Amino acid sequence: MNAPISAEADLADVERVLAGDIAAFEGIVRRWQKPLVSMAWRYCRDRGRAEEMAQEAFIRAWRGLAHWRHESSFSTWLFALAANVYRSELKRFPTETLPLDSAPEPSGPASQHHALQEKSWHEALHRAVLALPMRYREPVILFYFHEMNVATAAATMELPEGTLKARLSRARALLRHRFPHLEDEHAAAEFFALKAGKEAAR
Amino acid sequence: MKPIKTIRSAQKPAKMSRAERIETKIGHILATEEELLPSSGFVASVMERVQEEAAAPPPIPFPWKRAIPGIVMVAGVFGWGGFELIHLGISKPGLPTLSSLTLILQHLPAAAVVYTESAVWISLALGASLLSCLLSRRLAGRGGLL
Repeated sequence: MNAPISAEADLADVERVLAGDIAAFEGIVRRWQKPLVSMAWRYCRDRGRAEEMAQEAFIRAWRGLAHWRHESSFSTWLFALAANVYRSELKRFPTETLPLDSAPEPSGPASQHHALQEKSWHEALHRAVLALPMRYREPVILFYFHEMNVATAAATMELPEGTLKARLSRARALLRHRFPHLEDEHAAAEFFALKAGKEAAR
Repeated sequence: MKPIKTIRSAQKPAKMSRAERIETKIGHILATEEELLPSSGFVASVMERVQEEAAAPPPIPFPWKRAIPGIVMVAGVFGWGGFELIHLGISKPGLPTLSSLTLILQHLPAAAVVYTESAVWISLALGASLLSCLLSRRLAGRGGLL
């Protein structure tokens, strides 16, 4: 079960943990398990590995709780720590990805299989994101993970906002060149999805 | 699924270039990714590891107090050696120089040179071994040779 995220609850649990109450750390894990596992999933797209990486991030957080200086919010500190863990884990054991140029662009739309077509576009795009060089991949992952908040994504990466924006722009350009027909195909898929929805409603 | 925020380029579709429209589509797809729910035993497994970490004895700190005299001694030996080499390298009247030492070696019989060189290397190796042995015993908290 996920507990609602609250800065006061985090602060109270951190203080209890630092005072020697190990069980208080469970509250932190319950509150942050979903964001940290989801974030890890975006880095590797492997469920088992995402949980392992998130677990490692929690252990590092446990070891480093005393080093949280309260200069930033607990969430900023935790996300930055998790991003460091995920980055170094992926450096040690990289995910198996195709080179960006080899990431296949799905073929033309098939009206009977619009849902599958849509799904294949999504999967192809996510595979292409993983095939980006790390310096461009991570800004994309964190920008969309943080609901397109540049400031939070930059704080998580411990980078200036301008640098993050520049890397995002470059990443978008790389993806755009990889999927030059995305607009047409995606629009067609949306059209067929809409048509199917209308037919079902009759 | 997360709510999709309004993207700047989506506000004026008529003025968007093809490249912008593709990037907008990319943004929409990436922004609508579903979140992954952790498995039911995730919290328990994290807490188990935390308990293990808490129960483990703290790591043994490096014994700087014991190591410092050894480090100083080794640094002193190397420093003295370097100083002597530089001192010998500077040519002063009446003092043997590196070139004069080489000349002396050239005048010795070949066999004697080989033996002398070997003896020097063996004594250096023995000295280094003895030093490292003494240092490690000191770090382990045992003094003396035996």
